[in-house]
Amino acid sequence: MKRPLVAVVALTIGASCSPASPRAEPRAFPGAASAAPAQAATASLAMHEDRMRDVIEPAAAPPQANVVFEHATVLTATGQRFEPGYVVLRDGHIVAVGAGEAPAGAPEGASRIDARGKYITPGIIDVHSHMGVYPVPSTRAHDDGNEMTDPVTAGVRAEDSFWPEDPAIERAVAGGVTTIGVLPGSANLVGGRGVVMHLIPQRGARAMRFPGAPEILKMACGENPKNVYREQKRAPTTRMANLRSVREAFLKAQKYARDWDDYAKSQPSPDGGPPKEPERDLGLETLALVMRGDILVQWHCYQADDMLAALQIADEFGFKVRAFHHALEAYKIRDVLAAKHVAVATWDDWYGFKMEAFDGIPENLALVHEAGARAVVHSDSAIAIQMLNQSAGKSLAAGRAAGVSIGEDDALKWLTANPAWVLGIEGEVGTLEPGKRADVVVWSEDPFSTYARAEEVFIDGRLIYERGRAGAPWSDFELGLRGADGGAP
Amino acid sequence: VRRSLYGLAALAALFFLTAKGARAAPPSEPPIAIEHATVYVPAGPPLKDATVVLAGGKVLLVGASVAIPAGARRIDARGKVVTAGLIDSLGQAGVVEVEAEGRANDASPSGEALQPSFRIRDGYNPRSSVVPISRAGGVTTVVLGQEQGLLGGEAAAVDLSGDRLDQAVVKDAVAEVAVMTDDAVETVSGARGAAWQKLRTALEDARFYSTHKAAYDDNRARPLSLPRVELAALEPVIRGQEPLVVWVHRASDIELALKLAEDFKLKLVVAGGTEAWLLASELSARKVPVIVDPWNNLPASFDQLRVRDDLAALLQRAGVSVVLATFSPNESRQLWQRAGNAVRFGMDHDAAIRAVTDAPAQAFGLKGYGRIEPGAVGNVVVWSGDPLQTSTRVERVFVRGAEQSLETRQTLLLRRYRKVPVVRGGI
Repeated sequence: MKRPLVAVVALTIGASCSPASPRAEPRAFPGAASAAPAQAATASLAMHEDRMRDVIEPAAAPPQANVVFEHATVLTATGQRFEPGYVVLRDGHIVAVGAGEAPAGAPEGASRIDARGKYITPGIIDVHSHMGVYPVPSTRAHDDGNEMTDPVTAGVRAEDSFWPEDPAIERAVAGGVTTIGVLPGSANLVGGRGVVMHLIPQRGARAMRFPGAPEILKMACGENPKNVYREQKRAPTTRMANLRSVREAFLKAQKYARDWDDYAKSQPSPDGGPPKEPERDLGLETLALVMRGDILVQWHCYQADDMLAALQIADEFGFKVRAFHHALEAYKIRDVLAAKHVAVATWDDWYGFKMEAFDGIPENLALVHEAGARAVVHSDSAIAIQMLNQSAGKSLAAGRAAGVSIGEDDALKWLTANPAWVLGIEGEVGTLEPGKRADVVVWSEDPFSTYARAEEVFIDGRLIYERGRAGAPWSDFELGLRGADGGAP
Repeated sequence: VRRSLYGLAALAALFFLTAKGARAAPPSEPPIAIEHATVYVPAGPPLKDATVVLAGGKVLLVGASVAIPAGARRIDARGKVVTAGLIDSLGQAGVVEVEAEGRANDASPSGEALQPSFRIRDGYNPRSSVVPISRAGGVTTVVLGQEQGLLGGEAAAVDLSGDRLDQAVVKDAVAEVAVMTDDAVETVSGARGAAWQKLRTALEDARFYSTHKAAYDDNRARPLSLPRVELAALEPVIRGQEPLVVWVHRASDIELALKLAEDFKLKLVVAGGTEAWLLASELSARKVPVIVDPWNNLPASFDQLRVRDDLAALLQRAGVSVVLATFSPNESRQLWQRAGNAVRFGMDHDAAIRAVTDAPAQAFGLKGYGRIEPGAVGNVVVWSGDPLQTSTRVERVFVRGAEQSLETRQTLLLRRYRKVPVVRGGI
């Protein structure tokens, strides 16, 4: 398989500016953590919620199903396995999970499904996807993942590049994936905001946002930024310039946050004139929100020493790294990562394609897990995303062979609960527990098997994929191209 | 019935080997008997509770009740599965140490798009870290080949063992590789009509050259599109001694490849073949093997829009000889998983195993490879269970009858970092 090295894709046409928000800007912009006045925090949150409300197109989705699955093997990602067990979905949520027979008094109109021989798990969550921003087919027109005009582009948002017609999305769901973190590429030190998507395709990107998910930021260290800008004959061309540019960006953001704090606290001048409002800067605003803890940092980093340098910078500016992505050398510093509660999102055994990937080992995930850090299987690929379950199975086998004690439920957490935490949506999805959203996959067999297939995929209790009854392609692009005889994934 | 046949064949092979003498493993090495295993054989279902005897670098015996030679080293493989060593096709293991570093990557020559004389095997380093890593994934042989240019050079076969290049190489040239994908056409010629014309011209000139060598040497030949070294490299293809592998995805491009093969009387192998299912019966009738990566299920380019999950399964059912491959410099160790995914998408399980053993050996003319039968090369893998399953481990690997170390640079890293932090230096 040729997995595109996303960062080195070189065709970029200058992106046009997105229109300015018509909304009144908040008077007070939040400053750094402790200094932030309550009013500022409220203003910022309101902004975020406005964006959630502002989706102009109504979402379209299959109806919510009330379902009782019975006689299945139920893997919950909460440390429990029910065999046989039941799962009850009602009005888009999980209302009951347990062992044995489903309790009487199923929801009104619920269908009872005999899932004997099947496995039921939470929907898989991929924290590192470029679907929509690097869609298939690969075209210049849709090469929208890397804004390679400046090494720090904190003000751009992946949701503004996301093409909801990407044919890869349907295949990912057929692989049991229900939620993804869509990230800009890794050409830039600060690539821009990512977006958490719930995989029910809509006409526009915003209607696919996972309701209430926090903002995330893509950062990158190591080879990619310096290689991209070396080709452009500008900084950074070295790791030391990588670090300098990140540090300078956060220094500017610190001042920016202070300016807004000062503005919030300022009184009208004695002559009655209003205080001068600072100019709003989308990039600095993003970094200021990172320092305040409102935006979760997703940092592409392979080497142990690069990750340590990144953690040092995070400490210096008082923010947390939510997860290192790729992190092939995480096993070398797993004690540090566990102590700092940094998650590790990585592949099963992909390695060696560049220098910073040379020391990858198949036991990486298992060792990170053993050390007590959150381990996450991610894809970074529209192919690998279709078999994340196999990746977890391989990592489980590699770890056990190395003598690491890993339960099946731990390996399931690598696919569901841990990535939910990385994206800040662990209260909503990632486990089979009453109250969680009904993002549920019914598997043909043990989900860690090579041969396992997702037979039914529910998102918010809506049956959006059913194997063998796929019908017409989801993507408008594939209509008439894949053809009636073209098969369905 | 099958078992007793194998027994007979085994006896015959024993005499044959005794007469001809062993080649690969040192004669002092005792025979090896892998006992009580489930053994995948070239035809029919796997043999249960069977024994494989390796001697003199070859498979000596295979069957449910074989006479184990005196002094043999006996390996109890109860509950284990034995297959021929996997063969990855058109990969670059050992030719690429680090893909993104030009100096550590000898897979793609710069320069001309038509370089049929390019010998990727000269870039093979038997001491590459990728060799034991690939081997530890159950791959014992790689057909080196690359998807680049229009005529990208000679594919060669290597066994993943030995310190010397001349030991590792099985065959210097097993095929010539042409590339007619969207990417190649766009990079090299800008349009299909021009790219195919270049390929045809090269083949015509090679045919002319091969029948006018004396005139060519006397400087009396008509102008030819390629230098002599390139034309000479195409001769085995022109004579039908070696296949021409054509990388091609779109159904109409496959038609053009079939027409090319007909016009020049070539042996054809299709690589990539995303839309080959649309021509399955024709490919089957003309006995054209198709090399497929089972993970390739996205409409990744405009020549792959009619991509399907179940390409390998459809081709197999139509009687096409399907070869499964990773096409990769360092993912050969995932070949079992690619084959497993072909099964996930409907391919017959045992056919998928043949598609990474026997089928590639036949497509590339590697006699005695990819099969466990008396007289075959002793490339054999012992798996802890179903070779295509995520939970299975490779337990033993034999190349030309000699057991290989499963230590890799990665197992060394694992051992070093089994506890952190690591203390280095000191006494």
